[in-house]
Amino acid sequence: MASVHESLYFNPMMTNGVVHANVFGIKDWVTPYKISVLVLLDEMTISKRMTLLERRRLNKLILPLQQGPDLTLRHFLKTVEECSAETAFAVKLRLHMMVVGELKDMESFFDTLPNPFSDAESEASKTSVVGLFMRHMLLAYNKLSFSQVYKLYTALQRYYDDCLGSQPGPPTAPPVDADMELSEMELTSTEDGAEGKMDKEEPDAGPMQYSELDEAPRRCPLSQKQAEYFLARQAYLLKNDENKALKPAALQEELNNMLKFNPDFAEAHYLSYLNSMRVQDVFISTHSLLHYFDRLILTGGDGKSNGDEGYGRSLRYAALNLAALHCRFGHYQQAELALQEAIRIAQESNDHVCLQHCLSWLYTLEQMKGSDSSVLTEDSVKMAAHFGLPYLASLGIQSLVQQGATGGKAANMLMDALKDTDILHWKHSLSELIDISLAQTTSIWRMYGKSTMALQCAQVLLNMNSLEQVDFGVQQNNTEAFAVVLCHLAELHAEQGLFGASSEILKHLKERFPPHTQHAKLWMLCDLKIQFERAMNDGKYHLAEPHVAAIAALDQMEGLYRKGLVMKAQNQTTDAYRVLQRLQLLCEKTKCTEMIIRVMLTTAELHWESSGFSTALPLLLQALVLARQHHLQALASETILHLAFSQLMLGVPEQALNILHEAMEPILAHGALLDKGRALLLVAKCQMASSFLISPPRLEQAVQTLDEAAAYFSRMGCKDRLRDTHYLQARLHHALGHTAQRNECALLFRMVDQELPPARANLANRL
Amino acid sequence: SASRGRLEGGATAQQYEKMAALSSEFGDLVQIKKQLISVISLCKERGLVHSVKWASELAFALKPLPMSELPPPAPLTEEDVEDLDALGLAKSYFDLKEYDRAAYFLRGCRSKKAYFLYMYSRYLSGEKKKDDETVDSLGPLEKGQVRNEALRELRVELSKKHRTGELDGFTLYLYGVVLRKLDLLKEAVDVFVEATHALPLHWGAWLELCNLITNIEMLKSLSLPDCWIRDFFLAHMYTELQMIKEALQKYQSLIEAGFSKSTYIISQIAVAYHNIRDIDQALSLFNELREQDPYRIENMDTFSNLLYVRSMKPELSYLAHNLVEIDKYRVETCCVIGNYYSLRSQHEKAALYFQRALKLNPRCLGAWTLMGHEYMEMKNTSAAIQAYRHAIEVNKRDYRAWYGLGQTYEILKMHFYCLYYYRRAHQLRPNDSRMLVALGECYEKLSQLSEAKKCYWRAYSVGDVERMALLKLAKLHEQLNESDEAAHCYIIYIQDIFSCGELLEHVEVSTALRYLGQYYFKNKRYDEASLCAQRCCDYNDAREEGKALLRQISQVRDQGEASSADVSLPCVFGSLSNNNTPVRRVSPLDLSSVTP
Repeated sequence: MASVHESLYFNPMMTNGVVHANVFGIKDWVTPYKISVLVLLDEMTISKRMTLLERRRLNKLILPLQQGPDLTLRHFLKTVEECSAETAFAVKLRLHMMVVGELKDMESFFDTLPNPFSDAESEASKTSVVGLFMRHMLLAYNKLSFSQVYKLYTALQRYYDDCLGSQPGPPTAPPVDADMELSEMELTSTEDGAEGKMDKEEPDAGPMQYSELDEAPRRCPLSQKQAEYFLARQAYLLKNDENKALKPAALQEELNNMLKFNPDFAEAHYLSYLNSMRVQDVFISTHSLLHYFDRLILTGGDGKSNGDEGYGRSLRYAALNLAALHCRFGHYQQAELALQEAIRIAQESNDHVCLQHCLSWLYTLEQMKGSDSSVLTEDSVKMAAHFGLPYLASLGIQSLVQQGATGGKAANMLMDALKDTDILHWKHSLSELIDISLAQTTSIWRMYGKSTMALQCAQVLLNMNSLEQVDFGVQQNNTEAFAVVLCHLAELHAEQGLFGASSEILKHLKERFPPHTQHAKLWMLCDLKIQFERAMNDGKYHLAEPHVAAIAALDQMEGLYRKGLVMKAQNQTTDAYRVLQRLQLLCEKTKCTEMIIRVMLTTAELHWESSGFSTALPLLLQALVLARQHHLQALASETILHLAFSQLMLGVPEQALNILHEAMEPILAHGALLDKGRALLLVAKCQMASSFLISPPRLEQAVQTLDEAAAYFSRMGCKDRLRDTHYLQARLHHALGHTAQRNECALLFRMVDQELPPARANLANRL
Repeated sequence: SASRGRLEGGATAQQYEKMAALSSEFGDLVQIKKQLISVISLCKERGLVHSVKWASELAFALKPLPMSELPPPAPLTEEDVEDLDALGLAKSYFDLKEYDRAAYFLRGCRSKKAYFLYMYSRYLSGEKKKDDETVDSLGPLEKGQVRNEALRELRVELSKKHRTGELDGFTLYLYGVVLRKLDLLKEAVDVFVEATHALPLHWGAWLELCNLITNIEMLKSLSLPDCWIRDFFLAHMYTELQMIKEALQKYQSLIEAGFSKSTYIISQIAVAYHNIRDIDQALSLFNELREQDPYRIENMDTFSNLLYVRSMKPELSYLAHNLVEIDKYRVETCCVIGNYYSLRSQHEKAALYFQRALKLNPRCLGAWTLMGHEYMEMKNTSAAIQAYRHAIEVNKRDYRAWYGLGQTYEILKMHFYCLYYYRRAHQLRPNDSRMLVALGECYEKLSQLSEAKKCYWRAYSVGDVERMALLKLAKLHEQLNESDEAAHCYIIYIQDIFSCGELLEHVEVSTALRYLGQYYFKNKRYDEASLCAQRCCDYNDAREEGKALLRQISQVRDQGEASSADVSLPCVFGSLSNNNTPVRRVSPLDLSSVTP
């Protein structure tokens, strides 16, 4: 089930779960890139013979160019060229003239700059975005001292040479013919096509940009804007699509580099904290986190957030973040101490929002420690609602729902609660929580055994367009919610015997969440489970055994359960019983109802092996009660199958048939293929057993049921059971005197039997 | 002030063993003097002023040579003669800090001397430009990006010559410096080691090496030339690595070898004593130093720290005035004045002077930390944090800054948060009780009593400066109703206090006595109990209780209850009748029960 607290930490670049890239404020400095933009703007105002289409495209380009990070000249020119090749050439030429000339060329450029803009009929008025930008630049330029101006000029020369220095002489004009052709073609092409192209090359998006940023620092240090952009982008990627972010080592290197040049760039420390969390490095992450907050405290002091208040605030959040850090590393005691501290400070300064955050962490911590925290959570939700913190409130509700689902709360209540939070999410556009909510619903449906509903929910999430603007080239959100849903999808497909599809999904998961990323464990477990089930159903227990250890590494309880299963299958009854007992104790401690029921069922099966069918009954009844209490339909039906089988073996097949009717409907509607087959086989057996006077109509019925069961088994590739079915079919046909069908079935049986090892003696004692 | 007193105060006499045997290399001081004289002239020709200064100071400390013994000037080669004029011209420009000009006139020279000066001028020119450019950079982020542009070219040229083995001791040194500036530390260490082999007498190379060595293992792994100067290096290195005992041993052996007059060694020993907080020794050495070298400014900031800790206002004021007269624009002077103002509780002014010191040299570590302390005094915690963080950035191993950060957060009542900083400080100074006591206090506040007990006990074991650890430990035990352990601690505490002779203003002695009286009374050891009660009466705050206890004891005795003869109980007051006689210490085995 989706754990909903992955993103509940205070991130200074994030409010209500949304990362804002531009929280650093804009600081204007004249850089060589800015000069290029100025040249472009100037060129646009001067040149009169620009086509309307070109002008429109360029106009659309202005804003991203102006507000985006510094680009390399080549990239800049390429971007311009896509809009208007002529303009790009002109800009290049003017830059070239400036670079090969003298300092005075740059000086005179800035001198003449205001003229085209001061015109009354100019397109760039004083107060427009462009005008403002120009004035900023002029102001910044005029403030420079002589040596600074000279430095700027040499920087411009280097900027030009770095990209285009390899070309000797002045740039050659683009071939006119091609140019004409190009513009003609573009004129004929539809507006949409051109726009699509534009979007791709927008500086805010596109992998091009990314790769350049990646390499840039090695050549020259990042400028302020670039550094900010880099940090914001990496932080965003870490949160939403870890895959696309830099590798931990590379990212750390970048950050170290950045910090070496500017130790005051505190945000880098925060990113370093996030980054080392990825690789589970407690030492560096603590260090970075504390360093960040030491720095933040400084900036908070002189900020506009009335002096002492802002500073106290960061102190509180510092303690809270430390608690979060310890929580993530599983240092519960430390986390508790830090949290108490945060709570104390927050209380002293009456900061309800911070207290609210603390409360959320408190119940998360309690939950992680395995104790009951529903009261705390409820309080948290109430308070959050009171203080108008929708994010925290619905996180709390989701957490409550999760607790309620495992605790056996009525399904309708849970669904109502989820629906209510969904309304809240949509109202506040909390896209992250919407995802989580859908994933949670999927999990809940799955737990209740309603595979169709689960499938639907999963599809809804996967097909939903994200509310968040698609940024930085991230097409889908690679969050935990998606991983959870995809895992469910894989398992659901595997249940239906669609192993090809399921392995496709797993392959996709592997690509989206490579093994080193934080959500990889989810699909690893899912993959192992599927493989295990297949091996078990095929009767290849030796293949299933190695999976047990792997599963145990990822999930202790699941591992123990599977170990019991393998042991049971290998006839190590006493050992299996011991393992199951241990598991049951464990489950009761953690209140994991699903597992308790499954353990009970397996224990009952163990009783069958020693022909203790009557001893299995109370256990099964207990399991049935539990399953019904918790609305676990799939498990309830499974229990009924077990009960019916016990009854059949105890010699009351009519009774068995009676209760089987109850289970058939949900199994046929929602059950896995294997379950369907097993149920039908059992029905057929009961029908056969109950027709003690050979009554052909009943036997005919049984034949049909068996046919159906055989179809299911063959689809699952479950040869073991297929053999049984064919055998029964052959016997029935023989009894009914259908010689041809009998021979056919006998042949089928013979073929399967030859493939398989000899049947185990106690095969009859199997459902 | 409490915060600083904690770090710089205290006095434990650290005894060190004298090395009896003189090193054989020092047998011939005349030879050493000769070597020094020749290396002085070599360095002088190359403009390596600091090495000249060091060698000259050392040479000055040795007996003057007779005329006949003076070493002849180094013989000139043909190339030297060729370059003589250019070299003379360039050197004069170099001395006037016109580095580019010097380099220009040296560009064609072939002699080794000229080549070194050529490269060195280029390097210094780059450094000078770098410093100038920091002032007018184009943006805030660019501030840190200014770099010496000449370094790369220098590296390329020097590495080419290095490969062919054309570099002499001086150029190797320069190559090492260039590598270090380019952050190629590993290569730099190798080159410096090579440089010391090529020219062992050049102190600059040793000093650079010293800055690059981070731990003792690294030091041991280097193969250094076997020369008398190596002992100076090792002594310096030990001081840097906080291995004060070894450093003092080395310096002592150097003094005995005949360098007793060297002001360099005296100052180094004084600094070493300062580092282990042996204030008296350090003070006397600094006073001696000032007598011998009254216009010295180096190390005077350390001296002022000592005066500060001892609250010697008149001496500090005298020192400050004196230094201002000598040169008021020196980092050390500013630090001294800052300390002076701080002692007079004029913290704003103190902070101002520390800021000035930092303007003069932003990498001055002590000033950052001291400024942090001042801001702490002014209750400006955010500025204090900033200052401490800067100090840590300059030197990650500055335990004072880590400790200061911890204190800041402790003042803000974030006891869990400050644990991290105290731990860092403790890591750097594992045997410093102050960090351990601070850690213990934090744990106590967080009700992690078992951790707190460990800290206090450890603090006592490593030699507690303020004698507070045991008392705190005892109180903890008291709180936990572990009366035997508490009594143990109180006993050791009282023994400690009395055995150190001077009866400091320890109000807590009465607390200890009071507790012990009650403890003995409860255990029916009436003799000891009455002894404690009597002692209690010596203290104002415990007098009444002492009297009450005495009455109780006599009452019980009247009833004829015999004193218990349980030998297992600690009995230490046998000879407590006289304050000044040191009391026998309980054997360490007895204390095993106290260890948590």
